[in-house]
Amino acid sequence: MIKCVVWDLDDTVWPGVAIEQDVTPTPYPEVLRAMDVLAGRGIVSSAASRTDPSLTAAVTAHPELAGRLVAPQLGWGPKSEALLRIADELGVAVEALAFVDDSPFERAEVAAVLPGVLVLGPDELRLDRPEFTPAVVTDEARARPRRYREEQARRAAEREHAGSREAFLRASGLELTVGPARPEDVPRVAELAERTHRFNTTGEPWPADRIASLIGDPGWFVPVARLRDRFGEYGLISTALVERHPRGLAAWQPRLFMVSCRAAGRDVPRAVLGWIMRRALADGARQLLVDLRPSNANLELRLLLRGTGFTAADPAAGSPAPGTVLLARTLDSDLPEVPWLRLIEECS
Amino acid sequence: VLVSDVETGVRELLAAALGRDPAEIAALPADTPLFNGPLGVGSLTGVRLLAGVKDRFGVDVVAEDLTLESLESIATLTRYVAARR
Repeated sequence: MIKCVVWDLDDTVWPGVAIEQDVTPTPYPEVLRAMDVLAGRGIVSSAASRTDPSLTAAVTAHPELAGRLVAPQLGWGPKSEALLRIADELGVAVEALAFVDDSPFERAEVAAVLPGVLVLGPDELRLDRPEFTPAVVTDEARARPRRYREEQARRAAEREHAGSREAFLRASGLELTVGPARPEDVPRVAELAERTHRFNTTGEPWPADRIASLIGDPGWFVPVARLRDRFGEYGLISTALVERHPRGLAAWQPRLFMVSCRAAGRDVPRAVLGWIMRRALADGARQLLVDLRPSNANLELRLLLRGTGFTAADPAAGSPAPGTVLLARTLDSDLPEVPWLRLIEECS
Repeated sequence: VLVSDVETGVRELLAAALGRDPAEIAALPADTPLFNGPLGVGSLTGVRLLAGVKDRFGVDVVAEDLTLESLESIATLTRYVAARR
């Protein structure tokens, strides 16, 4: 699925070549309309133009383009490199980019270097293409364009911050709102289960109707966590499907725990885990059991679990499913805390 | 190859992964915990450390030690690597 369309500027977004003109050209109205329709589906627009990099200021201040383009790249280098920078800035895979350019030469260069990119001429850009038509557009997806702009402001502030990373995080005003999932959260919980890989304990998809049935089930606890900071909203970025007292044990057992990778760098996995541990303790649990399907993809999460005291569970605690291991940690001491995250607990 | 050579290597890889002075890491007791305390290995530094262990010793901790039990201290990781290389 495409998450970002990267537009050429000269003769694609606007007529003519900008550096040969006294004022920045006016974009084609149908291009602006296409950008808006795509944004409504959670697909952002960016730009890659081979031109004088000093024109960047004119684009980022352009009345019609400033709010529509994220991370525009103007410079003399190859467009494939511009696309790699855009993917990096947005935190998406190169395969999630589409590239629109009137020049067959530029299209061929990108297609040769980045075969995963959907390369189109302006006349091939039809908004009913399946790559541009997600089956379900969640609120999270619709908010994505705004989020990418906030993330850019955040990264710029972090680059310019003189102190340590911890000092930057402390100054970011991070607030984590945690509480039980509501029925309206189900599509996003299912989306996270499907889309997160790095911070996902098992990588198993859970159907939305199954998740919905767990929300009202007293044998389960389905928490969600939302993150915001002074730059904006990250949205719903972590969730878990926790079995309470499985097999009559004095334990809680997350069958799935996951965190969106855009929040993982803020120590959110550790904070959410620590909060779940405290809830478990208050519910009479003495240990937390975690189903884990170890892989290379979720190594960071495995290290985090190990670093917060998880080791192989006693076989008496239950037998793990094939390909998984069961981890355990007692809840008697040193529950993880993240000092720079303000935790706000929503009532059950 | 002696276990002490493996331990020296593990300490060098730790220093590289953490971006710390190798002399400082070399002076720590062997039972220094990897995650908490003076080393403070995290998710990203842990990924670097295990990639370094695989490169230098050919021991793939990520694939073989599914629960990462070997990552208790400098000494436990050394023992794990020395027993498998």
